Amino acid sequence: MHTLRLAATSMTPEVDFDFAHHRLSLKGESYPENAQAFYQPLIEALGNYCASLHHTEVTVDVALAYFNSASTKALFSLFGVLNQAGARGNHIVMNWRHDPEDDTILEFGQELADDFVALEVRCMELA
Amino acid sequence: MFEHFKTFRALADSHQVIFFYTGTFSQPVISAMAESLKSRLTAQGLAGVKQRRVYSTFIEMAQNIVHYSADAITPGDANDQEQRNGQILIAHEGENLTIVCGNRMNSADTERLSRKLEVLRSMSHDEIKTLYKHTLRAENEDGSKGAGLGFLTVARDACEPIDYRFVSLADTPSSVMFYLKAII
Repeated sequence: MHTLRLAATSMTPEVDFDFAHHRLSLKGESYPENAQAFYQPLIEALGNYCASLHHTEVTVDVALAYFNSASTKALFSLFGVLNQAGARGNHIVMNWRHDPEDDTILEFGQELADDFVALEVRCMELA
Repeated sequence: MFEHFKTFRALADSHQVIFFYTGTFSQPVISAMAESLKSRLTAQGLAGVKQRRVYSTFIEMAQNIVHYSADAITPGDANDQEQRNGQILIAHEGENLTIVCGNRMNSADTERLSRKLEVLRSMSHDEIKTLYKHTLRAENEDGSKGAGLGFLTVARDACEPIDYRFVSLADTPSSVMFYLKAII
């Protein structure tokens, strides 16, 4: 399966979905004008990838310094797709990296862990 | 002209205004302002969670103008590369920072908006957090471009209840100025 790569802009994160090596990463800030338009293609690509998985180990690195309200909603849908893959017997590890001083982003990571029980969410401080 | 400018500067300084913009809001403008605001806040020694809250509130308010100001330059039904007019101001107020944004809106929509904002104003911080979590998991509401989380995000980051005003405009009775204020 191909790799999905998007360079970061000031308002969208760097996307590196290396499907062949089962390593996915989101890094940077996210406040596009239309979050739905930015995330929908990512959600679809991820859905196709996840449908092809069988008992696979997948690592997801998320290091988002800031995301706006509309991105929050879109990210929740994106992680929902991963959670479904986890529920089908794949081992999905999500490294949720947050600024040590940023309780909001840490709390969001903890909520993901509570909601998406088929994901192994590891909250860790940004290096 | 120069005298007016001097008066304007002196007034802004006396109110400890650190940021003011009036004009067209578009995504590139917001991005440039956000960058400038971030360095300004860092230079003033405001770091960590408070800086992120100011940054977040600024972006939510500015994107709200792009999405909803009735003073649109691009067609009203556009949902990308929009440009709409408004204002945003950030000033020190004691220990805190106040952020106020303003834009025109249709008078007909004020009742619905004030109902929404009054609900947020009546809630405790914990209740706001609970509603935020609920809304995050709910289906998108009709007519919302921000997943219905925008005002909630502002209310969540503010340290006091958010405040708002509708100010009538003499030239156009069908529109009012809408001001929203958050203290961070």
